[in-house]
Amino acid sequence: MRKQYFTLLVFVAVLSFTSFSLVGAQDPVQISFWHAMSGGRGDVVQGLVDSFNAANPDVQIVAEFTGSYADTLTKALAAVRAGEPPHMVQVYEVGTRSMLDSGAIVPIAEVSGGEFDPSLFVAPIVNYYSVGNQLSCMPFNSSTAMLYYNKDVFAAAGLDPEVPPTTFNEVYEMGKQIVESGAAPGGISFGWPAWIMEQMFAKHDQMLANEGNGRDALATETYFNSEFGVQVLTEWQKWAQDGVLIYGGREYSANDPFLAGEFAMLAQSTSSLGGIQNNAAFNLGTAFLPRLEGYEDAIGNNVIGGGCLWTMAGFSAEEYNAIWRFYQFLAQDEQAIIWHKGTGYFPVTNAAFDALDAEGWFTENPNFLTAFDQILKGENTVAASGVILGDFVTIRDIIGAAIEEAVVNGMDPREALDAANEEINQLLADYASLVESD
Amino acid sequence: MLIAPSAILVVVFFIIPALQSLQLSFYRVNTSTGRQIYVEFENFTRLFNSREYINSLTTTGIFILVVVVFALAISLLLAVGASQPIKGFGIYRTLLVWPYALSPAIAGTIWALLADPSIGVLTYNLERLGIHFNRQTNSTHAIIFICIAAIWKILGYNVVFFLAGLRNIPQDVMEASALDGANAWTRFWRMTFPLLSPTTFFLLVMNTLYASFETFGLIDITTQGGPGRATNLLIYKLYNDGFKNTTLLGSAAAQSVLLLIFVAVLTVIQFRTAGKRTFYR
Repeated sequence: MRKQYFTLLVFVAVLSFTSFSLVGAQDPVQISFWHAMSGGRGDVVQGLVDSFNAANPDVQIVAEFTGSYADTLTKALAAVRAGEPPHMVQVYEVGTRSMLDSGAIVPIAEVSGGEFDPSLFVAPIVNYYSVGNQLSCMPFNSSTAMLYYNKDVFAAAGLDPEVPPTTFNEVYEMGKQIVESGAAPGGISFGWPAWIMEQMFAKHDQMLANEGNGRDALATETYFNSEFGVQVLTEWQKWAQDGVLIYGGREYSANDPFLAGEFAMLAQSTSSLGGIQNNAAFNLGTAFLPRLEGYEDAIGNNVIGGGCLWTMAGFSAEEYNAIWRFYQFLAQDEQAIIWHKGTGYFPVTNAAFDALDAEGWFTENPNFLTAFDQILKGENTVAASGVILGDFVTIRDIIGAAIEEAVVNGMDPREALDAANEEINQLLADYASLVESD
Repeated sequence: MLIAPSAILVVVFFIIPALQSLQLSFYRVNTSTGRQIYVEFENFTRLFNSREYINSLTTTGIFILVVVVFALAISLLLAVGASQPIKGFGIYRTLLVWPYALSPAIAGTIWALLADPSIGVLTYNLERLGIHFNRQTNSTHAIIFICIAAIWKILGYNVVFFLAGLRNIPQDVMEASALDGANAWTRFWRMTFPLLSPTTFFLLVMNTLYASFETFGLIDITTQGGPGRATNLLIYKLYNDGFKNTTLLGSAAAQSVLLLIFVAVLTVIQFRTAGKRTFYR
């Protein structure tokens, strides 16, 4: 009895193998795609992948959610070391240097066989991900930071709800008026404070690191503790001490109290717009991030955040061809529009933006236009493109802690930034010692 | 031969990785390029010269002390209470053990919600008492918050052991002392407490280990080491350095070696001091 079963089992096993290899000849090209989009955003990614697969029966993209941005980056790098990388991986802005230095990626120009044309894409997005004037990854989900404000609270405090603050002093004065009038317990809060700090440098055309902001070669020195940096942090500290700034954590935890009306303004990623707009029980306004007085001639731009799609090395020409077709598909107006409407991320091509504009999307949703206007109205200098650093994840963490030391614990801003900068430079030196000089 | 399977498991999953991290602690490693350089004791000397590490070390020391003392005291109190012959004893006891059955992540989520600065029940009620509690913007509040959550989490475990220990105290001795005219307090302090000392000592060691190693989940869910570096305990800093960036893996390995040494030393001290006073029947 047992023996019969066993023979049968072997037979079935052998059969399944042969059938596999028979079908294998006609199998579509399998392309693995690791991404960090959870929840609703993940569904939109899956929707795009499904429609691509349906339209291209000879290719099968297998999208897989691999955890947060940081987790996805760590996993991808580990997979490279283990010799089993995915074909495509979505990496956030701070992982750019790590991906380039991994030596395990294929630049988009090569993937496309020279067909890729960066000029079709929105300039600040291309600039942000370019190193040494070359774009290596496929722009996918990009966002920036802007100022959200509660028009009802503004009105209650006796301010004109159609006139948001444009400068640091105005934020402070308006914030004080809001707090003192009792319209809201606080004036302003930030999401991703360390990133907002980077935004400030870029917006005021201030370099943040040597070697052309780390875009010509590996940066070995950062300027977080420059006069400008200290000035910004000193302002923030003043706001906090006078009850205008309510510290709101490192990522998105400031969104809920903003929605609850605990403060009137929020500097946060534009990718939160969808969520905030849907949940706000008040009239929502959006504006550009405020500027510091005394830097009127230093016009820079907002920096980009979000992810980019990287192609990994070691696959066949056929596979790269399939990947390139997928990238082209994503860049089509139709898909870019689905992506923008579904997630709030920028449509990455100029054509998609024009198409959205033509159908009247921005007239109906002026808040979506604020984000876009902001990056299009700036100057695309090197400093304004934002900084690229090795080990950026840790660096952002160090700056985040320094901001907390000053804003929350009342430490002297210069002292906090000096200590942070020293720590960062040590880290950069270590990083440089471990990367092949090119 | 018979212990071979477990011995192999221990070697493969504990000894080899431990030796590897010891080796790694002498290197500077980049996880994106896969390169490594031998740097002798650089990782260690840098740690001891780093204000941040020393800070983290002190915070952890205070944290361990607070958690162990309060966790033991409160759970002993609860266990003594729960061991009285009262109605619904079974339910009462089960409820006490509950917190321990939760994973650190769940416990963290619950506490994060309770003490949420804007919507937490706890913060709301404290606010009514005139205390403005905000673990997100106040470093002192954050560390107090982590201590309370950590103590709460280990209580159940301690209560189970204390209850078992109390059960094992011979009733005749207690009755004899009661007849001799000792009051409840004297009986507890002179009889119960010494007879319970093996359990207490065991829990002392276990709680120290818990406070040093197992609070990671709680911190990751609630404060993520902040604000500033207020709740950046050794175990959390180690994780951050080891997994969240590309060049500090060597340093993280050194930190894990040091953490092991610290806790080992602490445990030896406990055995030397408290262990000697433990009364075994």
